[in-house]
Amino acid sequence: MTKVIKIEQLEKTYYLGKVKVEALRGVSFEINTGDFVSIMGPSGSGKSTLMHIIGCLDYPTGGKFFLSGQDVSKLNDNQLALFRNQKIGFVFQQFNLLPKATILRNVELPLTYNNSNSRNKRQLAAQALEEVGLGDRLKHRPNEISGGQKQRVAIARALVNHPSIILADEPTGNLDSKTGRDIMEIIKKLHDSGNTIILVTHEPEIAQYSQRVIHLKDGLIDKDEVIA
Amino acid sequence: MILQSLKIALESLWANKMRSFLSMLGIIIGVGAVIAIVSVGTGSTQQVTSNIANLGSNMITIYPKTPKGQGGQVKSVSSQDKFSLELSDYMEKFCPSVKKVIPVKQISGSLISDDINVNATVLGTNIDYTEVNNYEVDMGNFISDNDDEERRQVIVLGSQLAEDLFENDNPIGERIKVNYEGQVYMFEVIGVMKEKGSTIGGNLDDQAYIPLSVAMDKLTNSDYVTSYIAQAASTEKASTAVSELENFMVKFLDDEDQEQFRIISQDEILDTVSSVTGTMSMMLGGIAAISLLVGGIGIMNIMLVSVTERTREIGVRKALGARNTHILFQFLMESLNLTSFGGILGIGFGWAVAYFLSRYGDWPMIIAPLSIGLAFGFALFIGIFFGLYPAMKAAKMNPVDALRYE
Repeated sequence: MTKVIKIEQLEKTYYLGKVKVEALRGVSFEINTGDFVSIMGPSGSGKSTLMHIIGCLDYPTGGKFFLSGQDVSKLNDNQLALFRNQKIGFVFQQFNLLPKATILRNVELPLTYNNSNSRNKRQLAAQALEEVGLGDRLKHRPNEISGGQKQRVAIARALVNHPSIILADEPTGNLDSKTGRDIMEIIKKLHDSGNTIILVTHEPEIAQYSQRVIHLKDGLIDKDEVIA
Repeated sequence: MILQSLKIALESLWANKMRSFLSMLGIIIGVGAVIAIVSVGTGSTQQVTSNIANLGSNMITIYPKTPKGQGGQVKSVSSQDKFSLELSDYMEKFCPSVKKVIPVKQISGSLISDDINVNATVLGTNIDYTEVNNYEVDMGNFISDNDDEERRQVIVLGSQLAEDLFENDNPIGERIKVNYEGQVYMFEVIGVMKEKGSTIGGNLDDQAYIPLSVAMDKLTNSDYVTSYIAQAASTEKASTAVSELENFMVKFLDDEDQEQFRIISQDEILDTVSSVTGTMSMMLGGIAAISLLVGGIGIMNIMLVSVTERTREIGVRKALGARNTHILFQFLMESLNLTSFGGILGIGFGWAVAYFLSRYGDWPMIIAPLSIGLAFGFALFIGIFFGLYPAMKAAKMNPVDALRYE
């Protein structure tokens, strides 16, 4: 099993005004390629900070983080941007689609930032939307579709670059429970077809879809349990 | 990457059409103003210049200066009583670049025909006046040398004056009265001049012309003329003629400081006009430049609002792999697009304004390519200059904070 993520004694300290916040105080774990892992914890446990670091959006202040064998703390801003583009597929709680652009254009966006040619781009984006069942909505805009459909667009956008990991931050947080289950089924299917998935949530039922749950508390790993 | 940023920028501008247009407005007005002003400036200057050239070829006028002094005492002597008839012959003799000098006696009186009474300037002069002024007779004849020698009381009317006095009737051979300082003199109309139009030196159409000898001996009983009109031998010799005349007058009047006379040449009038129009253009151009600057500040303002408003979008784009330079170029392209579209619309707008003004003011419409290039280039420069700060602000955003922004 190759290790897509290897984290050693990860620390993150930041200052809110003059108050020192120790969001992560030495977290270590590994994730294998093809795993489906949930990160759980109450608010303030450090799970958002951990997700930002895994998503290459933020630097750790201590410890080491290897993504696909590469030490991320040694990368500069541009290399981080490239990593986010190539290795990470984000799915956010608030969907974060561009409201004025069509769905197709939204899904094309990650390809725009790695110089794919435009015909290829369109084809790949349409294909990704087909996979999440929105092949007939390419020209619609985000305000013309439902919340569940928006999240499916976001999943298509996360998939389009074939990333090493899909990072989903409370993907069902803004959805009703039935739609939430539909979205989780899609994510589960993605895992079944070989994608590595990291899910950040505070809902135990959602975490049930994964194979392993890492519980965070006060910036430390409280419990690392394997389900199923 | 630049092409791509351009596409993204165009999309977001199109998404906010109304706002984009409003923020462009400053640039549209600025560029339009520059083009319209430059066009009006060159067009009207050309019109005025051709009018002045029309006034008479190589014309130089010599006036006595009104004496001035200090503290109630008139220091310098009036030279008026030295402007004699014979002086014109000496001028011709001692100034080789001067072809001809015509003495002119200017008086103002009222002209009466039946019950119509018109106040007019009456010039006592001779036949050469028409040549120097490039002035032609419409009906009848101008004053001849014979009229002058015989001191005949004949008068030639400017076209407007003829119309005022006789409406559509033929005035030739009619008799009119000239009232000068309470004395009434009878004159016979022998000619009407062609229309000349208003010139920088006044409207010739409103004047009447009588023999110089009549004006001097009969009407004013004076030995001195009002001014001399000299004609240079050729256009090339005009400035030499002016300095010759200056030298002559300085020596003749023993007036080293040129306090007693004044020489006005056509070149000088042209210089004055072009310096006036130049100053006007500078001033209006300055206003246009300020409006462009204000437009630029408007662009910066709107771009800053746009950056703040789209903080989340910036976060998303960065999360999806946009580099800082991608974001920088996107916003820079947006402001550049705003100003360049504004510039293009402004060129159209300025063109239209210039067209209507040239129709209204009856001067040729001239759009200098330089003014278009200059205005458009300045608009682009403003786009980059005022777009840079907001774009850098956007590019430097921390992706985590930007994503969290509500």
